[in-house]
Amino acid sequence: MNTDDLIRALAADTEAEASLSGRMWLVLVPALILALAALWLTLGFRPDLAEIFGNARALIRWGLTITLALVSIRIALVLARPEGRSVVRLWPLAVVAGAATGTLIWAYVTTPAEGLQMAVVGKTIWTCLVAIPTLSVLPVGALFWAARRGATRVPALTGAVIGLAGSAAAAAVYATYCIEDSPLFYVTWYSLAIIGVTLVSAAVGQRILRW
Amino acid sequence: MAAQIDDWGQLLTAANAGDEQAYTRFLQAVAPVLRGLVRARGASLGAAGCEDVVQEVMLAIHLKRHTWDQTAPVRPWLYAIARYKVVDAFRARGRKNDLPIEDFAEMLAASPDRDPTEATDMAKMIGMLDGRSETIVRKIGLEGASMSEVAAELRMSEGAIRVALHRALKNLAVLRERHIK
Repeated sequence: MNTDDLIRALAADTEAEASLSGRMWLVLVPALILALAALWLTLGFRPDLAEIFGNARALIRWGLTITLALVSIRIALVLARPEGRSVVRLWPLAVVAGAATGTLIWAYVTTPAEGLQMAVVGKTIWTCLVAIPTLSVLPVGALFWAARRGATRVPALTGAVIGLAGSAAAAAVYATYCIEDSPLFYVTWYSLAIIGVTLVSAAVGQRILRW
Repeated sequence: MAAQIDDWGQLLTAANAGDEQAYTRFLQAVAPVLRGLVRARGASLGAAGCEDVVQEVMLAIHLKRHTWDQTAPVRPWLYAIARYKVVDAFRARGRKNDLPIEDFAEMLAASPDRDPTEATDMAKMIGMLDGRSETIVRKIGLEGASMSEVAAELRMSEGAIRVALHRALKNLAVLRERHIK
């Protein structure tokens, strides 16, 4: 077959495909709604959910997780493009990590010494470490599904950022149940859960984002 | 036709909006550039071998054309796909480079007046498609038939042919992946 014949066949195929971001939001939003519903059906929301909106210490976790999710989604969308790895800017992730560290230090300084251990350990470490990765499955899966239509040249990195985005979103969902209001608890354990999902997603990306 | 559009970005923008003519011109403009790139890297593959790689890259560009962000320049996007696919193609072929020397001798001796853009891999891949997909790709590509002619011949609607062609091209990429690796 000569190349002009191929060009003719390619040009005749005018089926348009949705843009990457359109495709991504199309699946991510239902995935998050399902995750929220699953949390509500299993663990339920915390009873004082409406009241904590005045409590800055407790609210910061949504600030951090939602920012991390949005920043990571943007980065994943750039990395999913073929030229993405040369134009991507990763520093916003460092800013979020810095903000989380700052919150942790602030909480450490303002918590009385005798309450430190209790604040870090809390009562729900295992629930947190199991629930966040579990709730991540749907959003991370949705993001992978969308990214497979992309064309990344860095599959592992893209997978990692997808894991970061999906698990941060899952952590924001989990926060509607989580009763631990000390940043010493949530920054520590949410981060651990998010890092775990990120590492697994990097390995998954390496396998399934090749094209 | 209105003013001649030479800019790749404008051509691809029109193409992504469904303009078949602009798309043809885009692909025709891109092909020689890719050919130069591939030949510079892989002279050892011979003209036909290089053209196989060129066609693989063109198929990849086609299937990934929706990943181009219209506000970004086309060339970095295009070269990124080309680089990825060329490296991929050479790696795949490198692994199979245990062919006896006679094969190379034969290849080197191939008559130089052959059509230099004739390649064999894609034709093989098309042969591996299911019967109907194969017919559609052949009619439109090799015979230059129009959608409506193919539709009439296969007693299908034009829309169905369109969808079938799109699937067939996607399958070609999957087949290539499986076949070459």
